[in-house]
Amino acid sequence: MSEAGALPGRAIDPLLDHAPVGFLSFADDGTITAANATLAAMLGHAPGELEGRRLEAVLSLGARIFYQTHFFPLVRMHGRAEEVFLVLRAADGGNVNVLCNVARVERGGAWANDCVFMEVKERAKFENKLLLARQEADRARMEVQEHAEELRATNEQLEQQAVELELQQQQLQEAATELETQAEYLQATNDELFVRTLELDRQRAAADDANRAKSAFLAVMSHELRTPLNAIGGYVQLMEMGIHGPVTSEQREALDRVARSQKHLLRLINDVLELARIESGRVDFVLETVDLAGLMADVTPMVEPQMDAKELVFTVRVAPGRAARADREKLQQIVINLLSNALKFTPPGGTVSVGLARRTGEPEMLLLSVADSGIGIPPEKQAQVFEPFVQVDMSRTRRSEGSGLGLAISRDLARGMGGDLTVQSEVGKGSTFTLWLPAADEDAGETRRVKA
Amino acid sequence: MVFAHGFGCDQNMWRFVAPAFEDEYKVVLFDYVGSGKSDLMAYDAQRYATLDGYAQDLLDVVHALDLKDVVLVAHSVSSMVAVLAANQEPGRFERLVLIGPSPRYVNDEGYVGGFERADIDGLLEMMDRNYIGWASFLAPAIVKNPGRPELGQELTESFCSTDPVVARRFAEATFLSDNRADVPRVTVPALLLQCSEDMVAPLEVGEYLHREMPGSTLRVMKATGHCPHLSHPEETIELMREYLQPAHAG
Repeated sequence: MSEAGALPGRAIDPLLDHAPVGFLSFADDGTITAANATLAAMLGHAPGELEGRRLEAVLSLGARIFYQTHFFPLVRMHGRAEEVFLVLRAADGGNVNVLCNVARVERGGAWANDCVFMEVKERAKFENKLLLARQEADRARMEVQEHAEELRATNEQLEQQAVELELQQQQLQEAATELETQAEYLQATNDELFVRTLELDRQRAAADDANRAKSAFLAVMSHELRTPLNAIGGYVQLMEMGIHGPVTSEQREALDRVARSQKHLLRLINDVLELARIESGRVDFVLETVDLAGLMADVTPMVEPQMDAKELVFTVRVAPGRAARADREKLQQIVINLLSNALKFTPPGGTVSVGLARRTGEPEMLLLSVADSGIGIPPEKQAQVFEPFVQVDMSRTRRSEGSGLGLAISRDLARGMGGDLTVQSEVGKGSTFTLWLPAADEDAGETRRVKA
Repeated sequence: MVFAHGFGCDQNMWRFVAPAFEDEYKVVLFDYVGSGKSDLMAYDAQRYATLDGYAQDLLDVVHALDLKDVVLVAHSVSSMVAVLAANQEPGRFERLVLIGPSPRYVNDEGYVGGFERADIDGLLEMMDRNYIGWASFLAPAIVKNPGRPELGQELTESFCSTDPVVARRFAEATFLSDNRADVPRVTVPALLLQCSEDMVAPLEVGEYLHREMPGSTLRVMKATGHCPHLSHPEETIELMREYLQPAHAG
């Protein structure tokens, strides 16, 4: 560098002073040590006016920061910088855009930062276009990124929804499986029930068959037993009549016992036979209108002697004109059976009475009752008295010589005629057996149809 | 001793100052994410939208090396990053050395920051324009250091290698920030190194900080400009030693 200057005191080469480019040199502390006339003119200063001032004086505010944060550190560290864009400040405060090249050199024992500035005008327009294009591109890229972000968010939402849907589907699947399991279980239960029903049907059929076989067997057996028993009875009678020779008093007593036993056994067999026949459905009922007062008139003479003998007060209160739809013979059998029981289980001096009633609201049924003041039946035994081969007090069976089938037969007969037989009793006070019969008189209203 | 570089450069800007403390201190230099040789993949626009993200960088370094009794030397914008970090974990730091600090660059009612919003916009535009020719900034260069042969030829990396997009965001985070509310909360003693005629951080700003920051010491340097550690490393080192000597000796 030459020491010669265009102006006195200026440390600038005259050749450089008017070069078509701005020149400036500054020290590390920011003091401008040299500036050519071209730069001074570019910034609206007089030549020599810039020397000694601080570099900030020619920098715009933005450029000052840029200088401090980028430009100076760059020059200080690299030793040079090229094509740095700076906005300089003119004397009138206006901006001057320049491109700057800098080189850091040691001169006269100190560091100098030599800069050249080329003003950019036309070039700046292209740069503006370029910048705008880049800003557009940046904006577009940001938008794309935002869209991508939105899409990602939407995608995440969709994925989340998909997961939720899958979860719901799984739950539904589980519920369906559960229902299926329940259905299978129900089907299994149903199948089992069906099998059980079949089994029950089969068992019931088997039981019915067995019952029928039993009844048939009993009927046959009873018949087979009756024949020899009749023969026994016949021969006893012949012997008692002395046809086979004289009979001693001891022999007569023995023959009496045989005859009694034969009669008891025969009655027993007859009862069994009858019950078996009823239960096997082989009894025919001949239903007709039976006048109950007339019926009692027929029956009373059959029991009155025994009632008197036991000193029982026997009364019959059956109003005339009442009729039942029944099998006359079987009805008579039931009534005699009930009266025999009353006679049997009522101590001497007691009462036996027959009455007839009709329930209000149930005109189609007549209630014929046989009441006694006998020993009575405990409540827990009342249902059993109608079961075959049952007597309330077995010890008395021998004494009363009953078969234990009487009440069972009577109820079966009553039911066979469309009626029933029930009991009310109190221990020590007596029993009342009530025979329910379909009414056939004019108060009965519509005659009840009875199955034979 | 941790050195935090300022806006526009990287840890290399400490190369005239840091070696002077290597005998007495464990010296730690680092680049913020987006600067120097940091991993650009780690850059997260959200995280670095404010200075808090940079404060987290600083604390990450302190945690990673499990540093205690740290003397934190911070330049320019890093001063406020240092304030944020020190307020977050005061126990880690023994002293702060803040070079050319400013809590707010834009003027406000009753506050002189040195700039108007339009000036900052001018800076941003200038940065945009310079990125057009950014390649020349990044070009590797062999640095000539006639005065400092020990640094010599070995350094072939470029300086101030900053990603343009990141630098632009850093500039916005820096120059549009307002950390005045964080200043009174500082409990770590701090040395404020204020350059004379620093137009990035004017004297008014240094005085404001000294007034608002408890336990702070303000030293106005002979050095001019905004980068005394580059332009006046000797004075910078001397003032630091002077401040740290009693604390370190005790």
